[in-house]
Amino acid sequence: MTSTETAPVATDVVLRITGMTKRFGATTALDGADLALRAGTVHALVGGNGCGKSTTIKVLAGVHRADAGRIEVAGSVWTAAGYDARAGRAAGLRFVHQDLGLFPELSVAENFALDAGYPAAGPGISWRRLHQRVAGLLEAYEIDASPRTPAGALRPSQRTLVAIARALQDQERDQQLVLVLDEPTATLPQHESQLLLDAVRRRADRGQTVLMVSHRMAEVLSVSDDFTVFRDGRTVATLAGVRPTERQLVDLMSGTATGAATQPAAASAPAGPATAEPAVLEVAGLVGGPLRGVDLAVRRGEIVGVAGLVGSGRTSLLKTVFGQHEPVAGSVRVDGAPAAPGTPARMAAGIAYVPEDRGGEAAFPDLTLRENLSATVLRRYWRPWGMARRRERAEARGLIGAHAVKAASSEVPFAALSGGNQQKAVLARWLRREPQVLLLDEPTQGVDVMSRGDIYRTVRDVAAGGCAVVVASSDLIELYALCDRVVVLRDGRIATEVSGSQLTPDHLTELTQSTAGPVPAPGGTR
Amino acid sequence: MSLTNTETVATAAGNAAAAPPADRRGGGGSWRGHAERHALLGLLVAVVAFFSLYPDSAQTFFTSSNASMLLGNQSVVALLALAVILPLVTGYFDFSLGAVAALSSVLTAGLMSFHGWSLWAAVAVSVAAGAAIGAVNGLLVTRFGLNSFVTTLGMATLLGGLVQWYTGGQTILAGIDPALPQFGSATWLGLPRVVFIVALATVVLWYLLAHTPFGRRLYAIGSNPRSARLVGVRVDRSAWTTFVMAGALAGVAGVLQLARAGSATADNGTGLLFPALAAAFLGATAVVPGFFNPVGTIIGVLFVSVSVSGLTLSGASSWASPVFNGAALLVAVGLSTYLGRARGVRTG
Repeated sequence: MTSTETAPVATDVVLRITGMTKRFGATTALDGADLALRAGTVHALVGGNGCGKSTTIKVLAGVHRADAGRIEVAGSVWTAAGYDARAGRAAGLRFVHQDLGLFPELSVAENFALDAGYPAAGPGISWRRLHQRVAGLLEAYEIDASPRTPAGALRPSQRTLVAIARALQDQERDQQLVLVLDEPTATLPQHESQLLLDAVRRRADRGQTVLMVSHRMAEVLSVSDDFTVFRDGRTVATLAGVRPTERQLVDLMSGTATGAATQPAAASAPAGPATAEPAVLEVAGLVGGPLRGVDLAVRRGEIVGVAGLVGSGRTSLLKTVFGQHEPVAGSVRVDGAPAAPGTPARMAAGIAYVPEDRGGEAAFPDLTLRENLSATVLRRYWRPWGMARRRERAEARGLIGAHAVKAASSEVPFAALSGGNQQKAVLARWLRREPQVLLLDEPTQGVDVMSRGDIYRTVRDVAAGGCAVVVASSDLIELYALCDRVVVLRDGRIATEVSGSQLTPDHLTELTQSTAGPVPAPGGTR
Repeated sequence: MSLTNTETVATAAGNAAAAPPADRRGGGGSWRGHAERHALLGLLVAVVAFFSLYPDSAQTFFTSSNASMLLGNQSVVALLALAVILPLVTGYFDFSLGAVAALSSVLTAGLMSFHGWSLWAAVAVSVAAGAAIGAVNGLLVTRFGLNSFVTTLGMATLLGGLVQWYTGGQTILAGIDPALPQFGSATWLGLPRVVFIVALATVVLWYLLAHTPFGRRLYAIGSNPRSARLVGVRVDRSAWTTFVMAGALAGVAGVLQLARAGSATADNGTGLLFPALAAAFLGATAVVPGFFNPVGTIIGVLFVSVSVSGLTLSGASSWASPVFNGAALLVAVGLSTYLGRARGVRTG
C-alpha cells in the first residue's frame, strides 16, 4: 500500500508531473515530487503542513516556476523552466483557489461575464443573452440561483460552485478541462462542505477531471478516486483506484507506522513542573463564532499550545478570551475571578494578546518604536505637567536592549524595523505589563530564524516567571518546541490534548489532520 | 504678529529642550530632520522679510496696525483650523466645521437679536449646539461607519440651509449685545484680545494631544485603528470625542467671528473652512512632520495669511487670495503625503 502502485495507463493521464523540485532559498519545498492525474477522476493531493502541496498548485498555476522537473498536460510536455500560467491555461488547467475571486456585490451573471466577456448587442451589452447563457450554466452545475442574484447573497457552498462553473464555463463537449480545487472547503461549515463535495462528485461522475487539495481527510475520502500523498516535498504514496482508510492516509502523511502512534507511551506523566500549580486562566463552555463550547485551563508557568486547521477557531478563541469578541455563552476567569467583558477590562485583569497579523493588528507603522512600545502603558507616563518623555525614552531603550530589538534608536518609525524585530517589540509591549496570561497567535509568523530563537527564549522565561502562556499556531514544530501541552481544536471544540512524550510533531500532524474521532486520545485506554 | 508667533514656537522649543536627545521623528538628529521640522517657519520668516522690503508693500506691510489687523482677522480661521485637526488626527475629515462656525455666529446673534437672550446664554447655547452637531457627526461616522467625507459634507450643506432659513438670508445687525463687538476690537498688550483666545486654545490642544495619554491614543488610532483596538483603546469613543470637541471649538470660532464682525451674515462657512484646511495640512509638514499638530497649524495659518496680506498690499487683485489658498492646500497635502511615505522608507 505504501509503495507506488503501477502507474495508470499512459493515455488515460491528463496531467503528469515528474521530478518536480522547487527551492526557496535554503528550504526545499519540493524534492522530486511526482503526480499523475487520470482523466475523469477526482484526485486528492494530501499531506501535512509544508509538505509541498501548495507549492505544487502554485507551480501549476504559474505563480512559482519550478527549478527542475517535467509537466505534461493533455499530451503537451514542458520542462519546469518553459512552463507558465498561459501554457497551463491553454492546455486546459482551470483553478479555483481558496479565495474564490468573486465580486460579491455584482450579480452571478456579471461574475461570469467579467471572466469570459459580455455578449455584445450593437454598441451595448446583450443582457438577455448573458442571462440565458448563465442560467444554462447554473442549471448544469445545479446551482439554485438566478443569474441576477448578487454573488454575495448565495450560500457559501453555492458561491464555490459559481466559482467552479465560472472556471469551467468555456468547456466544450470534446475538450477536457482539468479543475484544480485548492482547499475548497477550508472556510466552509460542515454541512456546506458536504453539499459542495456532493456536487463535485456528480460533476466527476459525468467525466470532469478534478485535482483537489484538502486538509480534511473525511471529505477527501468521501469524494476521491485516487490519492497522492506528499511528505517533505516527495511523493510517498500514489493510490489509484484504491480506497484507503483515514488511518492509513494519516500514517502515510505523518510517516509513522500504523499502530505506533495509537500505542500510548507508557502512561507518562503529563509534562511539566506546573502540575501542582493553580490554574490562572480558566475558560469554560465558550461559545461564539466558530467556537462551540471550549473548556481550557492553563496553570501558572504552563505553556499550552492550540493546534487545529484553518477555520477551527484558534484565533477566535484567543480573541474571545482577550475580550475582542463577546461570546454567546461561557465564562473566562483569571485567578479564579470572572473577567469583565471588553478588552480594557481583560487587560486590567492581566491578559495580554499578541495578534497573528502583525502589520494589520499590532503595528503603528508611522509612530516611533518608543511610541509602539508605550502603547500599552501610556498612563504610567502621565504627569499633570505632561508625559514623562525622558523616562519613557529611557525605558524604551531598556526594552530594546532586553529584547534584542535591532534598531538605530527608540525614535525610528516602527515600519523601518524588520518583521522579526517588530514582533519582538510587540512582545515587549505586552511583557512590560507583566501579564498573568499571555496569548500568542502565530508568534513567529514571518519571523527570521534568529529572532524566532529569541522569541522562544523570551516566552520560556516569561512562563518560568509564573505567567500562563497560550500559543496558537499552525506550525506544529513550533508547538512541539515550545509547549508543555497541546490541545487540538476541531469544529469549535477541544477534540483532544497531548503532552509529555506524546507531544511530537508527527503525532500532532496526525491529530490535526484527522477529522473523525477514531484517533485515540493519548494516555487513553487502549 | 511676530509676537504670538515667537510665543507659540517658544513653547515648542521649551518642550524640545526638556528632552535633550531631541528629535521625535524618523529624521533623527540629522540635518534633514531639522530642515523638515523648521521649513515652514523659515518660509514664514522669509515671506515676512520679503514683503517688508519689497517696495510696493514695504510702506504698509511691516506696521503694527497691519500686524494687529491681520492677527485679529485670522483668529477665526486659526481657531477653526485647530478644530479641524482634532478629527484629522484620528483619520477622519470634518467638513462641516465651517458651517458649524457660521451657524454658531448666526445663532448667537439671533438669540440676542430675535429673542432678547443675554450674551452669555446665547454664547453657551451656540457652543453647545456646535458640540451637539459634532456628536451627531461622530455617531454617524464611528458607530454607523458612514464615510466621514460625505457625511460631514452633507451636514455642512444642511447647516448652510438652516442658516438661510433662520436668518431669512438677511444679515443680523441689530440687537447684539455691544459687549461682544467691543471685545472683538479691543486690544491687550498691543494685540487684539481674540489672539489670546487662539493662543490659549493652541496651548490647551498642544497639551492634550502631545502630553496626555488621550492624545497619544488619538495618534495611535490615526496610525492604525485595528492595532489601537487591540491595545485596549476605545477607538470609536475616542474618535467620537474628537468630533464633539471640534464642534465645540468651531462654535467658539463662530462667536469670535461675530465679535470681530459685529454682525452675523447668512453664510455657509466655506470661506472659513478652506483656509483652515489649508493651514491644517500645511501644519502637518512642520514641527512634527507627517502628523497634524496644533503649533504647526498656527504656523500654517500665519504663513497663508501673511502671504495673502503681502500680495494684497503689493497691489495683487482679489483673486490672489483664493488662488494662494488653493495652491497652499495642494502643496501642503502633497508635501505631507510625501513626508509620510518617506518616513516609512527611510530606515534608522
